Amino acid sequence: MAQIESETRAQITVSDGALIPDRGESSVFSAWRISFFGALVLVVLLPVLAPDPYLEILQRLPEGIARTFQVTIVSILIALVIGLITGLGRISRITVVNRIATVYVEVIRGIPLLVQLFYIYFALGRFLALDRVVSAILAMSICYGAYMGEIFRAGIQAIPKGQMEAALALGMSRAQALRFVILPQTIRVILPPVGNEFIALLKDSSLVSIVAVTDLLRAGREYASTTFYYFETYTMVALIYLVLTLFFSKIVAIMEEKLNHDR
Amino acid sequence: MKKLGFGFFLVLLAASVVFAGGQKDADDGTVRITVASDATWPPMEFVDATGVIVGFDIDLLNAVAEAGGFEVEVQNTAWDGIFAGLANGDYDAVISSVTITEERQRSMAFSTPYINAGQVLIVPAGSSAKNLSDLSGQQVGAQIGTTGAFEIEKVAGVTLLTYDEIGLAVEDLANGRISGVVCDSPIAADYVLQNDNYSNKLQIAGDPFTEEFFGIAVQKGNAEVLEMINAGLQVVLNDGTVEDLKDKWLR
Repeated sequence: MAQIESETRAQITVSDGALIPDRGESSVFSAWRISFFGALVLVVLLPVLAPDPYLEILQRLPEGIARTFQVTIVSILIALVIGLITGLGRISRITVVNRIATVYVEVIRGIPLLVQLFYIYFALGRFLALDRVVSAILAMSICYGAYMGEIFRAGIQAIPKGQMEAALALGMSRAQALRFVILPQTIRVILPPVGNEFIALLKDSSLVSIVAVTDLLRAGREYASTTFYYFETYTMVALIYLVLTLFFSKIVAIMEEKLNHDR
Repeated sequence: MKKLGFGFFLVLLAASVVFAGGQKDADDGTVRITVASDATWPPMEFVDATGVIVGFDIDLLNAVAEAGGFEVEVQNTAWDGIFAGLANGDYDAVISSVTITEERQRSMAFSTPYINAGQVLIVPAGSSAKNLSDLSGQQVGAQIGTTGAFEIEKVAGVTLLTYDEIGLAVEDLANGRISGVVCDSPIAADYVLQNDNYSNKLQIAGDPFTEEFFGIAVQKGNAEVLEMINAGLQVVLNDGTVEDLKDKWLR
């Protein structure tokens, strides 16, 4: 009887690198743990050891944190929806849909997010009265929707052609194949880059302060500009951003692990 | 070849140190200082149509430099990092409609005051509000870190919205997004009376409600630059130049 040697396939994983722990890693001092708990300890310890000004700073920031959360989470959800539609549009065989999606992606990726924020709030604001938080969320969703669209497209195109062929051979229409066979597999593939975009959006949310929305960074700037405690303020702001991004990158890692349980 | 490259890199590094901010002596011995200004505050300091930084403060600075026998170079710097840069020594002084306040005096030194302005409230044309308390429960804008913003915070019931530039706040006011803007009276006069975009949409409510003395800010401990500026300022204040400048820019 011939022996069939099973090869262990080299695995290419796209991830945030050292911060997201491998399956086999059980060290107490993983990079993620050091960063997360280190930052958390500092956020708690600094106001205790030096209440003036750290405690004052900490008391001024929660409103900003809440706003940053709100803008980030709502924007990412809308961006995901826009991204899915755009991604499907980009691979669509209907020319009109394809053109619209392509123009959208190229134009939005070509204009800086700050300019888009300005435009939607101040320029369009002459004709259309939009609440400032709404226009901030809208600008961020539109901008990140374009990037999500490309991620979805890449994810869909990464699924082996055999899947689509098999689905069509089974009698499904292209739309049914996309919905029941391709897209569920796409989710696992695109989770790392979507996680990346989520964290990038969390940090880019600081740009909404240009339309006078008080996010975390803005709350810090307002405090520092009146008291001149620049170093202490930006230290706290940086630590809190770090805690938030590490927290979300851990959630993304857990989701990845759940979806990759068979590898 | 590598040695040449390394040597070239060292020369470049050394050259960049020479061009770092701070006092320099020109060949003939005159001192040259760098002064930062947030040129988004017409008519005190702003960028004109040709891209040149102009304004009351700029003319005053040039007059002070001439009287004091030194040279100045103006650097356009965003407002809410301007004092951090001063503390770091990125430039020697700040002239930017800086009100002399106790908190600021703890972190920087000021020249003798050169003008008294006051905060004033701008409201939409036809509004009946006369002062900040009339706008209780509404949103009022100001530039971040200015005495205008501090004044709004003192009034209970009024929500402060901070903007990176006063022009953005005025734009929002003209579009009806906020109910008022607080800024220095010369700037308010410029936007409401001189600016064609806004003159029929905005009005100034009441009189200036604070006394604000502007001074040139210098890094705390930098006695040399402070003395130079004060010497020049003394001459300029006494010989009528300031009045001429007020006629030119503020009336």
